[in-house]
Amino acid sequence: MTTTDSDRWKAVSAESLRFFGAMSAAVSHEIRNKLAVINEKAGLVQDIAFAVKSGRAVDPDRLEMQAGKIIDQVRQANRVVGVLNRLAHSVDAPRTRIDLADVIGLVTELYGRKAAQGEITISAVVSANPVSVITSPFLLAALIGGCVDAAIPKVDDSAVLTINAEAVADGATIRLQNLAGIEDSDVELGGQDSGARAMLEMLGGRLVADGRRGELVLEIRNCVGPDGGRQL
Amino acid sequence: MKVLLVDDEEELVTTLAERLGFRGIEAKWTTAGDEAMALTEQEPFDVVVLDVKMPHLNGIQLKKELERIRPEMKFIFLTGHGSEEDFRIGSAEADHYLAKPIDIEIFVATLKEVFRS
Repeated sequence: MTTTDSDRWKAVSAESLRFFGAMSAAVSHEIRNKLAVINEKAGLVQDIAFAVKSGRAVDPDRLEMQAGKIIDQVRQANRVVGVLNRLAHSVDAPRTRIDLADVIGLVTELYGRKAAQGEITISAVVSANPVSVITSPFLLAALIGGCVDAAIPKVDDSAVLTINAEAVADGATIRLQNLAGIEDSDVELGGQDSGARAMLEMLGGRLVADGRRGELVLEIRNCVGPDGGRQL
Repeated sequence: MKVLLVDDEEELVTTLAERLGFRGIEAKWTTAGDEAMALTEQEPFDVVVLDVKMPHLNGIQLKKELERIRPEMKFIFLTGHGSEEDFRIGSAEADHYLAKPIDIEIFVATLKEVFRS
């Protein structure tokens, strides 16, 4: 391993940790919000029960409705935990063939709350024909996440950030669309020496800004492993 | 005591308002900063409870807007983060700071303490 490779690995490791930390913080915040609602709903059921014991007439439908809402919040919290679980397991294989719909879907869910804070939505457009690529699932998720971070402030009046993927020879192209005023500086991903840029290089990728079409275009090539050249 | 609850999680504020009602505290609620400003224009509140992180205007920005309308109002911040940084900002910017999930009895005691202060 050369000094350059070593530096690149360090940058990628640091960026990976930053991404995982940021996603864990976002997900734990969302779980805590769900727990807060469950806490209040359960508390309200207690309040209603106490009122009944004190002789106040309470409509039983009120209790049934609150119980239903608790179940719904538990279901939502479980879905959020499932998203974090998928991210955690994305490191299981350093390199594998992945369906881009899965990884784009994962990033869309991870960034849902951040997008909502910016009053936009993220829409993953799923192709009828599955688009797959051989690469690191975790690093690709982190890289798409970096692109989403860069794209969110640029979403146009549609308020919808669309992400889609198409197969190309030896890889795939991922497009983040509906962006206004996108320019070359938006693809810096923190600068030439940043961990995100190192990830991009490691995945044999290229990121370009298409201002005319309002797109960030991420091209990913298949990582064929040690015997084939580009290795992870 | 009149309380205004502001949080983008509707299920949380509606339930909190109902629970405060069981304890004899009148609480109105909203999920949006601009509506919080409109409600504050219409009537004064003794204590405003704000989520730190909200779309459009965050809790700290919204507090400044509400203070311009009613300088006498007191503020409590709520947060789902509970990080050291949030605690530092929340403690510095509001009269009190609580991390979710909250204990209703501690919440009521805090409301009364802030109201009296």
